[in-house]
Amino acid sequence: MAIPPIAALEIGTSRTVVCVGESDNGRVKIMGVGSYPTTGVRKGQMFDLVQARTGVETAVKQAEKQSDVSIWQVLMALSGGHILSTVNPGMLTIRSKDHVVSRDDIEEVTENAKEVQLDPERQVLHTITQTFTVDDQSGIVKPEGMRCKTLSLSVMAVHGVKSRIENAVSVAKNADLEVTDVAFSAVCAALAALTTEQKRNGVVLIDLGGGTTNYVAYSNDVVVAVGSVAVGGDHVTNDIALAFNIPQNRAEELKRAEGAALIDVEGGAGRVALKADVGFEERMLNCKALHTVINARMDEILRVVRSRLHEAGVLPHVGGGVVLTGGGAYLRKVTELAQRIFGVPCRIGVPVNVDGFEQAEQPAALCTAAGLVLYGHMTYEDRGMLAPVKNIFKGWFRR
Amino acid sequence: MSENHQRTGLLLLGVGGGGCRLAASVRAAYGEGLRVLCADTDAQPLRTAAGAGMPTVLLGGSRLSGHGTGGDAILGRLAAQDDLETLRAQMQHVRTVVVLASLGGGTGGGATPEIVKALHDMGLATACFVTRPFAFEGEVRAKLTDRVLPMIEENADSLIVIPQDDLFSDAREELLGDAIQVSESLISAGVTLLWRLLTKPGFIQLDPERLHKMVLQGGNARFGFASASGLDRAHHAVEALKNCRLLRKGDSLSKASAVMLGILAGPDLRLAEIGEVMGALRGHVNKGCLLEMGTVLDAQYEGRIELVALSFESWVAAVVQPAPSVKDAAPSAVAEPPVADAFPIQPGSRRSRAKGSKLSFGATGRGKFRDVEPTLYEGQDLDVPTYIRRGITLER
Repeated sequence: MAIPPIAALEIGTSRTVVCVGESDNGRVKIMGVGSYPTTGVRKGQMFDLVQARTGVETAVKQAEKQSDVSIWQVLMALSGGHILSTVNPGMLTIRSKDHVVSRDDIEEVTENAKEVQLDPERQVLHTITQTFTVDDQSGIVKPEGMRCKTLSLSVMAVHGVKSRIENAVSVAKNADLEVTDVAFSAVCAALAALTTEQKRNGVVLIDLGGGTTNYVAYSNDVVVAVGSVAVGGDHVTNDIALAFNIPQNRAEELKRAEGAALIDVEGGAGRVALKADVGFEERMLNCKALHTVINARMDEILRVVRSRLHEAGVLPHVGGGVVLTGGGAYLRKVTELAQRIFGVPCRIGVPVNVDGFEQAEQPAALCTAAGLVLYGHMTYEDRGMLAPVKNIFKGWFRR
Repeated sequence: MSENHQRTGLLLLGVGGGGCRLAASVRAAYGEGLRVLCADTDAQPLRTAAGAGMPTVLLGGSRLSGHGTGGDAILGRLAAQDDLETLRAQMQHVRTVVVLASLGGGTGGGATPEIVKALHDMGLATACFVTRPFAFEGEVRAKLTDRVLPMIEENADSLIVIPQDDLFSDAREELLGDAIQVSESLISAGVTLLWRLLTKPGFIQLDPERLHKMVLQGGNARFGFASASGLDRAHHAVEALKNCRLLRKGDSLSKASAVMLGILAGPDLRLAEIGEVMGALRGHVNKGCLLEMGTVLDAQYEGRIELVALSFESWVAAVVQPAPSVKDAAPSAVAEPPVADAFPIQPGSRRSRAKGSKLSFGATGRGKFRDVEPTLYEGQDLDVPTYIRRGITLER
């Protein structure tokens, strides 16, 4: 079936990104990218819908021009500290006389497991099926045809606060875009940046965004933990601004030019010049102090993620490494810091499963949007058949 | 031996390169039966210590790979945090910890406050003997020491600062290389004397319980020692003690509210000599000063007399003796120091945060996030800069 080009929209705290991609012999190729600095968003949440809309319109125009596709429908990536995950078990007694699991049984247990009890103000974004348990044998991927008395399945539901999801969607609507589906940003980034091999070995993807840090952990090719912490690169900038009493934009420049996530012991005596600006004289800043401020914050962010994964009990199963995506991945020495904290190899993740980013300057920052295009292609059939009902079946993350 | 340890509940803990060297020399002087633990970020001296039969804890191994801090106190501090669990595990049957550290270095200066805080949180009484670096070691080390001392003071039950400059009446006469060595041997001699007083049987024993109590109630102390031999040795020893620079030439003794005095001598110690020492001292100290005394008789002190004094500045008689097992039970007389809180802030900690920075942060310290819903995690507001919450002082 021919799939038309799919557009993905990510309203990040620092940048709004639009990606358009088409399917080319089974692989997704990006045709155009539009990107514009976001205003009106803090910590992943919409604060000024009008300002946020301007960013969306500009980015969409850019992407349309580059790809020569007119965009009126988008998929949208969501993030924010309100996004949580719950694991819900479903159970079924096999009633057939021979106690053989049939396809109907699997469908029934899946439906059972997906009935997650949530607060009325929360909305499910994804239901991700994990592994089956056949009687007391766990970790079964395909139970069909097995003999047992009870079949159980755990499903992970990723959910967020309804009003905040609606606010994000309304920004796209105000820009005359129809939102066909929403997805959690870390899940998207994982689709673009992680290889099957990594997912099988167990891996953590940490998306270091401007306002939020989102993570997803895989073990045995199954999503075992996802989450979001409402702390990101903006906090690093804010810390620098407060530490040296400088405006936010100067702090951001300083972070990009001289920042590092580790304190450089050898070159610790260095000082950096903060150039004169309107109302500001040129100042010399202690480089070590700058690194100390950044190190403290990044250390904390990564440790919060680590302790969340520890609480979820998945830390021992992600020996395959840590993959960092998002703009924060380009902070100097952040991979070394993550390596120390998690004790496993760490690298920057780029969209390996999507083509067309060979020329991109910071490809790790585009993982979410690229993954969302991929997600759009993978779920196209479901949407086509079941539209407008969303998120009926999202078993895709198993593969 | 281990029974003896359990009975006394005393542990000598060396932190950092200097602290471990001091601990090792105390142990060498004291001999077997002294429970000692060395903690450092540098693996090399620890290996030597372990070779000599002392238990060791490597701090920040995963962070620094055993290479030391390179003089960076922040690294020392983080390293200590990394391995506090390991350290805690070594504290079985311990009630009073005597911490030895030389401030001014990365581990001594950075890790010591963290460790003292952890010990305090465990409900252990801590007496910290810390050395202030020589003036010739430079301003950077002196500054670091000044910054670290209040942090230690905050959690230590008793803080004994030994300015290394005061160990010599005239430092110009000393060779630079000798100075550090001499000061180390002097301090370790002093601590060894104290330890002997506490653990070796004597004519009048000063038991560890009394130290425990004094440490808990006495607050900060000064530490001095003197020795004399020959005729009139008692008189000369007291005079030397009164003129000891570590005790501010007797100034500290005269102002002290409690003094713990140890007399070490050979079996030839006469009762009259004890009387002379105590009489001279009592004439020197305040009227209401509490004077605790103990003696150790040892054949190797034949013909000599050694005095070691701990002079506590602020003695507050506790109404109720606090149970040492209860967390935060120690009512130290230490005034609330004007420094940043040690990090991380424990959930439920009543101490206010972030007093250390010189900058003003508006009403909240949250900067651009001031009107945003706070991100709370384990009782902390993550929008407030991490370095403020962790109490890290920035070099300017």
